[in-house]
Amino acid sequence: MVSQKVTVLNKLGIHARPATKLVRLASKGNSKVFITKNGQRINAQSILGVMLLQAEHGSTILIEVDGADEEIMLQKLVNLISSGFEEE
Amino acid sequence: MKKPFLTVEELLNKQRGSLRLRLLSGESGLKREIRLKELHRPGLALTGFTELFPTERIQFIGSSEILYIKKLRIDKQQQALNVLFDLDFPCIIVTDRKKVSQVMKEIAKAKGIPLLSTSLSTSELTFRLSFFLNDFFSPSEDIHGTLVDVYGTGLLFIGRAGIGKSEIALDLVERGHRLVADDIVTLTKKLSGMLVGTGPKMLNHLIEIRGVGILNVREMFGVRSVRMQKRIETVVELQDWDDKEDYERLGLDEETCEYLNTKIPLIRLPIFPGKNITVIAEAIALNQHLKVYGLNAARDLSRRLSTNLRDKKRISEYLKWDDE
Repeated sequence: MVSQKVTVLNKLGIHARPATKLVRLASKGNSKVFITKNGQRINAQSILGVMLLQAEHGSTILIEVDGADEEIMLQKLVNLISSGFEEE
Repeated sequence: MKKPFLTVEELLNKQRGSLRLRLLSGESGLKREIRLKELHRPGLALTGFTELFPTERIQFIGSSEILYIKKLRIDKQQQALNVLFDLDFPCIIVTDRKKVSQVMKEIAKAKGIPLLSTSLSTSELTFRLSFFLNDFFSPSEDIHGTLVDVYGTGLLFIGRAGIGKSEIALDLVERGHRLVADDIVTLTKKLSGMLVGTGPKMLNHLIEIRGVGILNVREMFGVRSVRMQKRIETVVELQDWDDKEDYERLGLDEETCEYLNTKIPLIRLPIFPGKNITVIAEAIALNQHLKVYGLNAARDLSRRLSTNLRDKKRISEYLKWDDE
């Protein structure tokens, strides 16, 4: 299992559209993905879970990936979030 | 596909009752073709002015034209009517059951143009005839699919042959919903712009289930399990499950598809063994109802989340400089 902390950079936080992007990416590979924020740990393949986190701009979340392609998947997820989900 | 015209004979047969039509003369012209839905009142042509005369339209005359003709000298009558009937239109209808002179009947017979009479008033005839012709000439298209009325919402199922459209329809009928057409659905665009689907008459409410054969749904489940036509409100495209495909997760973005230049909401539904499409179809229908009433679960959740995220950011920035 690999994990990394990452800060949410886009102004609007992880709202509905970024959440969809994140869930789609997390569902693509062959690993389990979990996200933890303020002690709340959710499955990143669940859209409602990711929205429930309410990760606002500037907040830090912990991504954990466990599975066959964990390294690549973690890198992709970190890139997606660090890029601000290609938003402002 | 429908043929693009209607013969006068067909108009007479189909609408004899509702239009109260009677043939007075000109039987030899019953095979004449009506190709336009517009009507025309040939007042000016009777006076001899025939420029711009729309010869392809159905003509109709009322009491004023009849009176005008009657007041002409007999030779002028013949002349005026010859000019009119030489214009070679599909047929002419006399409204208000006005008495038609022998001269006119003879000219209609000689020219082979059907002369019809109705007991309806001019305005009633134009209203009913336009309604019928509009319907007849409205654009239509046959598609491969299954149309079911689910809780009053017209769901059109499409997808490759053998994916299970008929089985879903049967399952929905079993649960009290109503079958409109299976396999071949004729879509017609109505005046209001809405799309209405109906099945071919010959296949009325028959369904083919692979491995079983043809079933008569109306006989099996009773008359309440079927309906003749239904507005199409949502298209459900059944697809084989594909791991690589991105399926809709929230329902924020509404896809549409287009038939006869009309946009209809489209839901692409992946299927796999064990997934209960019938229950999902019911949910799609109910959700469509809620959307019509202005309730959109995906949009509401998204707004709530965005508001929370904005507030949290504002509060944390406020507190950053002066903690309380």
